[in-house]
Amino acid sequence: MPTDHKQVLATRLATQFGRRRLLRGLGGGAALAATSATPTAAAAGGGHIRLAWIDFVDTLDPHFTGFLGAIKVHNNIYNGILKTVYDGTTVSFVPDLATSWDMPDDRTHIFRLHPDVRFHDGDPCDAEAVKWSMERVAYGKPKSPHAWKFDQLDRIEVLDPLTVKLSMKRPYAFLPVALTGATGRAGTIVSRKAVETYGRDFGRNPVGTGPFRFVSWRENDSIVLEKNPDYFEKGLPKLDRVTIRLMREASSAVAAMLSGQVDGMSNCPLQFVNQLKASPSLTVHGEIEGNYSLITMNCRRAPFDDVNLRRAVAFAIDREALIKQAFFGIGIPAYTPISPPMSGFYDKAIAESGRGQFFDLEKAKAFRAKAKVQDAVEPVFIVTEQGQYGTRVAQTVLPMLEKIGVKAKFELMERAAWVSRRNSGDFDMLETTWSADLDPDETIYPEWHSGENWNFAGWANAEFDRLIEQAQVVIDVKARRDLYVKAEDILMDEAPLAILTHMPEFKILSKKVKGFQFVPNDSLNLHTVHF
Amino acid sequence: MFRWGLRQVLQTAAVLLIVSAVSFSVLKLAPGDPVELMLGDEYSPEAHAALVAELGLDQPLPVQYAEWLWRFVQGDWGTSFISRTPIFQYAFVEALPVTLTLAIASLGLAILLGVPLGVLSAVRKDSAWDAGAAAFVLTGTAFPSFYLGILLIWFFGVSLGLFPTMGFVAPWNDLWGGLYHLAMPAITLSTPFMALILRTTRATLVEVMEQPYIAAARARGEPAWRVVWVHGMRNVLMPLVTLLGLQLGSLLHGAVLTETVFSLPGVGRMITDAVLNREYVVVQAGVMMTGCLIILTNLVVDLLYPLLDPRLRPR
Repeated sequence: MPTDHKQVLATRLATQFGRRRLLRGLGGGAALAATSATPTAAAAGGGHIRLAWIDFVDTLDPHFTGFLGAIKVHNNIYNGILKTVYDGTTVSFVPDLATSWDMPDDRTHIFRLHPDVRFHDGDPCDAEAVKWSMERVAYGKPKSPHAWKFDQLDRIEVLDPLTVKLSMKRPYAFLPVALTGATGRAGTIVSRKAVETYGRDFGRNPVGTGPFRFVSWRENDSIVLEKNPDYFEKGLPKLDRVTIRLMREASSAVAAMLSGQVDGMSNCPLQFVNQLKASPSLTVHGEIEGNYSLITMNCRRAPFDDVNLRRAVAFAIDREALIKQAFFGIGIPAYTPISPPMSGFYDKAIAESGRGQFFDLEKAKAFRAKAKVQDAVEPVFIVTEQGQYGTRVAQTVLPMLEKIGVKAKFELMERAAWVSRRNSGDFDMLETTWSADLDPDETIYPEWHSGENWNFAGWANAEFDRLIEQAQVVIDVKARRDLYVKAEDILMDEAPLAILTHMPEFKILSKKVKGFQFVPNDSLNLHTVHF
Repeated sequence: MFRWGLRQVLQTAAVLLIVSAVSFSVLKLAPGDPVELMLGDEYSPEAHAALVAELGLDQPLPVQYAEWLWRFVQGDWGTSFISRTPIFQYAFVEALPVTLTLAIASLGLAILLGVPLGVLSAVRKDSAWDAGAAAFVLTGTAFPSFYLGILLIWFFGVSLGLFPTMGFVAPWNDLWGGLYHLAMPAITLSTPFMALILRTTRATLVEVMEQPYIAAARARGEPAWRVVWVHGMRNVLMPLVTLLGLQLGSLLHGAVLTETVFSLPGVGRMITDAVLNREYVVVQAGVMMTGCLIILTNLVVDLLYPLLDPRLRPR
């Protein structure tokens, strides 16, 4: 009996994101309320939006970026084969440059492309162009940092001028995420002519098919985009011009936002959120996204080569107090890495389940009593002010750890030095965050599988590795969830990390800005935005 | 004259060479690796090795320095690792005019207000004016300029909505728009200098006014303004010019903070970002430009001395 593989995949993705609506805090709802409550004064169309961008933009070449701040810009210049949409309840992956997406079997994907799509330089975006762009990611030189997303790619064929066929070596459930123009990056389609013309300078001269064309980029000042009048989605975009002010200094951006010199902010540090929410002229979008903050403990050397000491640390941290003091009351305690948006896998009742890590001082003291070293230990805690939460987390955690005889020694350094120390394993503890993950695989595998690049704790467990490897090829949600439950139980019990919180990502817009469609993947898409 | 000029040029070149070598090695020896930062979350040892080789960072330090120097003197400033823009465009064409505009505006403001106020408090010594000026000098020099900038932003920008809080508009494209955007940054940056200028003007002038030739001028029946502005101020100019020459360095490092607070795309912000990202070549370009600027100012100050003081003219 033939299986509808696409349906299987679609079901899986839908369940994975379906429960987001239960967790929607302030964001989407507030936006809808705002738009319906305030009748649109001006006629739709036209206008110049000015946005304060406090995240770092490295390049406008989507195949070579490592920063979410850049991807937020890319989404407005390029299209993907697929895109992420959010109807207020469910996140799904639907064709963007494609008009249809078929899966004749579980490892073949056929995309029929929109006719008449042209790049900003006038070149047609046909099957050949799409094939070339995806092969640039898969096999290009220099190698794209996103090439691993096509590790399972067998070949790409052009069936006719508007049809592309992707053949994978094995079923690959992560592919839809990889093919979106957003955090996936691998399926973002760039102009071959422009890449060949500009070479390495393509990142400063981007040419895509998206709603906005690139105009200029002035270092430390601004990136300017203008309306693409030939955009293939009729009636879009509505804005004429977009100015992205590269600000970096968040307090200056907040001042500009409050005084009305900009119409939006790409992100917002927690310390300003409550102040901005109090302003009647602004809308604050933000809900818990796929992320977790954590303290990494270095398992390769003393004192944290001792599992009981790590367990003691994990249970000694009062997450509620931490959220109040270090996170300005924003966020929820995390028990395991899988976050609420991954609804097929997240256990709503995890707080009562007894699974994972949580604050229990008696338990912490019991583990501490079993530790190899009974005298006070003084691990080195490396901290950088340029991290997402500055030094607040470390400062709040410090007295909590002293209660179990762990006197962490702070070493405050700037980010470059911190990254070096982290990558070379020269630390005992550090505080960090993993973010923008839409799938448990992305959340767990590269961070905790033995020998992976991001496994800075140097932790290794063969049974854990086996479970998460198996979870990569299992499509059935329930079977996959069982594998992750077992894997997470091992991870949290062995505690190479003390997990802390799941957090929202914020976007601030002026109430004048209408038509913004919120998608909870840290994007700021301007396609439908108008004044 | 020719020999003097030649000596100046050689001296300048030697100073710049030392400055460039020191800044290059200090930054290289600081912990942190630009490639790790560039790769962001997509870090892997393979990607790291590939990028290091591509950027030539696997060469020994002296070789990297020599290569950079050779290209630099030929006018090739290199390309930024991260933004991939030619550094000449980024540093010289885009960033330098912003910082120069800010510096000139601040200096102009400091002189235009500092000198008359200094004269006023010297002439009305021990009056309420003088006490007020002394209080301003004290707060002006002690107040951190970035904090002053933030206060100005919140009061005049956010609460009153009178002035823009960010951004640069080139005055040569739009004079009023440019000055409007420049107002708060220039006030922020100029306040400590204004205080210094006021204090120097006052102190020197008070001393000068007690000189016999001033008494003689008064005895000749010259009008008061002439006694102060013509006879008195001549002797105030020397220490003032020296002060300005010496303070240019602190003006430039004040610009770093001011540019960050007001989001101005100038040299200060360029250098800070480049240091944080370990972009050696960009930092070098910034250091060379500011180095040249300081040397050039000192040269101008040296040339001004004989004009201001006849005793220093070659006989």
